[in-house]
Amino acid sequence: MPAIQIKNLTKFYRNQFKALADLQLTVEPGQFFGFLGPNGAGKTTTIGVITGLANFQSGDVKVFGKDVRKDYRETRAMIGLVPQEFNFDPFLSAEQILTYEAGYFGIPYREGKKRAEEWLKFFDLWSKRKDGYKRLSGGMKRRLLIARALMHDPKILILDEPTAGVDLELRYQLWSFLKDLNSKGKTIFLTTHYIEEAEKLCTHAAIVHQGRVVAQDSVDKLIHGLHAEFVDLDLKTAVYEFPKQVGDVQVVLTNGGRGLSFQEKPGIVNKVLHILHEKGIEIEKVGVRRPTLEDAFLTLTAKKGAAGSDA
Amino acid sequence: MMLNTGFVTLVKREIVRFTCVFTQTIFPPVMSSFLYIFIFGFSLGGRIETVQGVPYLTFLIPGLMMMYVIEGSYANTSSSLFISRWANNIEEMLVTPLSYLEMVTAILIGGVARSVVVTSGVYLVSLCFVQTFPVHPAWTIFFIIFVSLTFSAVGMIMALFAEEFEHLSLMTTFVITPLVFLGGVFHSVAMVPEALRWITHFNPMFYMVNGLRYGMLGRSDVPLGQSAAVVLVLFAMLMSVTVYLFHIGFKLRK
Repeated sequence: MPAIQIKNLTKFYRNQFKALADLQLTVEPGQFFGFLGPNGAGKTTTIGVITGLANFQSGDVKVFGKDVRKDYRETRAMIGLVPQEFNFDPFLSAEQILTYEAGYFGIPYREGKKRAEEWLKFFDLWSKRKDGYKRLSGGMKRRLLIARALMHDPKILILDEPTAGVDLELRYQLWSFLKDLNSKGKTIFLTTHYIEEAEKLCTHAAIVHQGRVVAQDSVDKLIHGLHAEFVDLDLKTAVYEFPKQVGDVQVVLTNGGRGLSFQEKPGIVNKVLHILHEKGIEIEKVGVRRPTLEDAFLTLTAKKGAAGSDA
Repeated sequence: MMLNTGFVTLVKREIVRFTCVFTQTIFPPVMSSFLYIFIFGFSLGGRIETVQGVPYLTFLIPGLMMMYVIEGSYANTSSSLFISRWANNIEEMLVTPLSYLEMVTAILIGGVARSVVVTSGVYLVSLCFVQTFPVHPAWTIFFIIFVSLTFSAVGMIMALFAEEFEHLSLMTTFVITPLVFLGGVFHSVAMVPEALRWITHFNPMFYMVNGLRYGMLGRSDVPLGQSAAVVLVLFAMLMSVTVYLFHIGFKLRK
């Protein structure tokens, strides 16, 4: 039985904007699943539908076989949510935020207090337990969000951009913690802007674009599905306008226009060099590398984007 | 077990919320009730002989208590829910396995708790001026509980519709306060002109004020059954609307 199964999910907002269009997704138990997509692709909306924070017009959404609308109490009990924005209760202290959360999920007060102490100590927040969340630093708030989501020991942990605005040291700590949690059997569903993060952590991933899942597979297969190496060009001067597509290959501007990256295919390098020559731009360095998840992401979203605009 | 613990936790949270800002939620109404009793009841009221067969000060106490039942319960749930929407911590509650009925009931009980605390304070203040003990304690409790549940539901509905804080106070200023005053906090309906007396019967607060006055003094401008029926029907309607709005996620879910 899949941990999360979404079939034909469609959602409109009141202004008729179609946020999700016939979205399909399957997350198996124990996976570390990356849900990737550009801003506005529908990642947070999908999480909202799974957790009960967003309505939807049609489709089936199930968590371990239970319907998120009909059996909402059961599905919500199985999920721990780490939202993108801080949404703490302004009237409670850090410790109360955790004990009350445990209580809402049916955990008796004493047990909740014990768990709160464990997580506060684990996340190095014990000395701040009496403070309201407004007195915590950004990194502390982020850790408190994760602790709160884990208070009822959910089967699935959903994290919406958990490392946004977090310094490198904390990011690496969180990565290590999440990997460890997943290795103990917890299903993790993660959205992130950092493709490197998804590549390092996730066993499986889906790429969502304009409200549709355009690819879903293991991370290895998504990368190897590109069947090609990639060419990186470092330019002496920045190029601000360059065709997004040369032949049938997507060309991506990198490093603020000081670089170009594209899939290696016969004749494409010559065409790209020709365009650069016409623009009078010289090349500083040429590199060839194996594809990354970021390449898969950019290639798939660019293809669908182009297809969408053609239509 | 899970159901009970979650529900009790949310009730506790609602009570903690208003008690941790008690200087804004409990002290001001108790203070202003002292002023009302002192100025209207003790000073001016001394010049009025009796109303409904009791001294004016005695007549005034149940009306004032009902006024604070209504204002306290409305203020509690409207601010609690609106602040939760505004600060987005409503999401904390919405992702839990609590049923919508449990969510609504827990927040309503928070409103009742604040009303009971404030009204008890007002009653204690009144004892400094006049010793009035409830003639019908069960009816006194009935009207305090059910009227505060009713106005807690009004507060929740307003908190869902409101887009800004000031929308909440507009309801207090232009609807609740005028209707409570006209409902007979300070006067008996027998003291107003015939036309106004007829119109007063369409004011639900009139039945609430008189219901509590019956509980406290055994006197009322309207039969007890009518007062109880109005309160129960209003409560059932407003509670149903509130649970329905939560069920469809009105202004709660995106």
